[in-house]
Amino acid sequence: MKFDFGAIWDNRDILIDGVYTTLLISSIAISMGIVIGLVICLLRISKKRLLRWPAIIYIEIMRNIPLLILIFMMFYALPFYGIRFSGMTTGFICLSLYGGAYFAEVFRGGVEAVSKGQFDASKALGLSYGFYMRRIILPQLYNYVFPPGTNIALTMIKESSLLSMITVAELTYAAHDINGRTFTPVETFATIAVIYWIICTLFLKLTQMLQSPASVREINNSMAIR
Amino acid sequence: MELQFLTIIPKAGPLLLGALYTIFVGILACGVGILVGTGLLLMRNSRFWLLRTLVNIYSSFIRGTPALVQILVFYYALAPLTGVNIGPFTAGIMSVGFNSGAYIAEILRGGLSRIPKGQREAAESLGLPRIKVWFKVILPQVFHSVIPLLVNEFTMVIKITPLLSTITVVELTRASQMLYNETFRPVEVLVLAAVIYFIICFSISQLGEYLQRRSHKFRL
Repeated sequence: MKFDFGAIWDNRDILIDGVYTTLLISSIAISMGIVIGLVICLLRISKKRLLRWPAIIYIEIMRNIPLLILIFMMFYALPFYGIRFSGMTTGFICLSLYGGAYFAEVFRGGVEAVSKGQFDASKALGLSYGFYMRRIILPQLYNYVFPPGTNIALTMIKESSLLSMITVAELTYAAHDINGRTFTPVETFATIAVIYWIICTLFLKLTQMLQSPASVREINNSMAIR
Repeated sequence: MELQFLTIIPKAGPLLLGALYTIFVGILACGVGILVGTGLLLMRNSRFWLLRTLVNIYSSFIRGTPALVQILVFYYALAPLTGVNIGPFTAGIMSVGFNSGAYIAEILRGGLSRIPKGQREAAESLGLPRIKVWFKVILPQVFHSVIPLLVNEFTMVIKITPLLSTITVVELTRASQMLYNETFRPVEVLVLAAVIYFIICFSISQLGEYLQRRSHKFRL
């Protein structure tokens, strides 16, 4: 069996476009996911049942349904109700909704790790909810939240490959495209696997630079979390 | 558009078959994953530097590439490279199993770190051979302590199986695609599929949480 990586080099423009789209989608989805996650987390830890239960239901639904089904629902079912998004928009929305639920759980884990005395002390000082959440509790989350949060962001970069199924021209779709033109499945898919690996490893190294050494150790121990 | 669940439900037989198939694939893939994970754990604790490095490369690669790409590579590359022509079903189970194996290895490593060192030293000082130390003393305890996490891993595997629809394994997602192409009712079919997935995953993850709580209660 002979390998023909030249065919991939000839089609490198498609791959570069694919990498660009993958990075674009995942960066937007990760940032939107963090925002959604923060909101859902605040609802989830609320004392009021009316706020807490919708958040619990949202998190459980998102965590127990495969992302692919969610994408298909949004892409194939919503147009029947007159709501029609492009593949790209569907991708952003689905990925960030999906990631939001996971980020919410991560943030909740962090809030629970902050000692209860902090809450009591802030209340005893008569600080308002908004003030002590923003200025006292959330800043402490940084180290607790960073390692598992990195894992979830990494998962989202990887999950963006599912969008190839609704014809978003990201990296996996680019591979299908090249494969369709040149019929070199082994080389193409191996190449994109390596590209994904480089993206993920760089991302991991980059985030490790942003955190304290203690939480770097943490992330190496928490690899089992997806 | 009006929802017509009543017309879809009598036709939902293929969905249920697909759901059973998903669970079947999930169990087999988890079995492969446990084998691979145990192998990786043993290799990681090996005396040889090369084996330990190989494990690191493997787990970094599995963690750094999407499951979809792994499945595609496995399915398209295996036959041309080795000349073995396996069907989509076997390829699917193997690739999902190899994917989950890397994560199971991490779970097992966590479990191993909780086993007191004395267990191993005691077994060694009794003169047990290395294989027996691992398979009769250490691993049973490791597996016992990580059962809840393995149950959760099973839901992860169930959530990867929809990707096998791309390589024409007729599991729940593929079955629902076929059903809505036939009935032109994607809304109802996809909602049904989502409900089935939710029931499967939710019940398994509740089981996992129950086991976790129980194991906290009876911690040594």
